[in-house]
Amino acid sequence: MELELRFFATFREAVGTKVVSREVDDGATVGDVLHELEASYDGLEGQLVEDGDLRPQINVLKNGREVLHMDGMDTTLEDGDSLSVFPPVAGG
Amino acid sequence: MSGLSLDATQLDRYSRHIIMDEVGPEGQKRLLDGRVLVVGAGGLGAPVVQYLAAAGVGELVVVDDDVVERSNLQRQVIHADADVGVPKAESAKAFVERLNPDVTVEAHETRLDRENAESLVADCDAVVDASDNFRTRYLVNDVARLAGVPVAHGAIYKFEGQATTLVPGGPCYRCLFPEAPEPGEVPDCATTGVLGVLPGVLGTIQATEAVKLLLGAGDPLSGRLLFYDALEMSFETVPYRQNPDCPVCGDDPIDSIERVEYTGGCGIAD
Repeated sequence: MELELRFFATFREAVGTKVVSREVDDGATVGDVLHELEASYDGLEGQLVEDGDLRPQINVLKNGREVLHMDGMDTTLEDGDSLSVFPPVAGG
Repeated sequence: MSGLSLDATQLDRYSRHIIMDEVGPEGQKRLLDGRVLVVGAGGLGAPVVQYLAAAGVGELVVVDDDVVERSNLQRQVIHADADVGVPKAESAKAFVERLNPDVTVEAHETRLDRENAESLVADCDAVVDASDNFRTRYLVNDVARLAGVPVAHGAIYKFEGQATTLVPGGPCYRCLFPEAPEPGEVPDCATTGVLGVLPGVLGTIQATEAVKLLLGAGDPLSGRLLFYDALEMSFETVPYRQNPDCPVCGDDPIDSIERVEYTGGCGIAD
C-alpha cells in the first residue's frame, strides 16, 4: 500500500523534502513506518522512536489526527493514509 | 485607567477599533486595562510589542536579557541601527514610548527563570511566548497554566512557524510535545538562519491571539496547532487534544514547578 508522509522543520531537512510517497507492506502500523524511516534516513535515526514507543519530543498525525489518541505505535494504516511527523521548534 | 472613560484623543486614536461592534468602547477599555507579559523582545517579540502597543494594551511587561546586535535588525523591527548594544527590553520600551503614550512598558533586563517566572506571570491577563529556547517555553507553559493565564505561543525555524494558544481548560504545550528536545537537538536561528519576515507573520498571529483573549472575541487557536510554511505560502491547522496523562493539565496535575527540571527534556521528577 502507498502512504503520503509529511515532514516538518528539522525532519524535513533530514528527508530532503516535505512530502514523500512511500510503499509499505499491507497491514503496516505507525511503529513499522517510523522504524523504516529511521533506517532509511540518517538524519532521522534515533529521532522518532524511543524504547519501542513514540519519542515524547515529537508528534505524529494520521490523516491530521494525533496517533497518541489512537493506538500509538500500534495504530494501523490503510492505503492512501497520510502520516505527518513533526518536532517542536523553539526559535523566536 | 480603571473606571475612567476614553478621552477625546483616545476616541480618535482607537476609532477604527471602536467603530466595530466586536470591539466598541468597552473592548477598547479592556485593551487599555490589559496587562500582557511578552517573553522575549527579539524576532517574534518585536511585532508583538509593536502591535499590542499600537492597539493600546495598557501595560506591557517585556522580559529579555539580550542586547540588540546588528544581525538582529534584519527581522527585529522595533530595534534600530542606533540601538545596537542597548538592552532589548530597554529598546522596546523606548519604541513604545514613541508610539503610544497610553501604554506603560515594564522592562525587565533579565531572563525569565524559575525564580522570577511566577511573579512575572501573576496579574497578567495573557502571556505571549516569544522566547527562543525550549527551556523557557516549557517554563512559560507550566507557570502560566498553574496561574490560570492563557499563552499565545509562537515559534519559528528558517522558513516555517508554529503557533497555538494555550487556554486554561484546553490542552497545554506538553499535551502536544510532552518533553523538550535535548539542548542542541533543534538548532537555533544563529546556526540555521531565519527568513527576516518570518517572525513578522508568526508574531502578528500571536499579537492577534493576545488581543482576542483580552477582548474575549472570536475563537482562540486552542487545541489547534497552526503551521505556516513561507516557501509554500501555506497555512494549515491540525487539531490536538488534552492528554489525560499530562503532568501539567491532565487528571493528576502538578501544583508547583518545584519538581520540574528545566534542563534537558524539561521532565518532571516522580
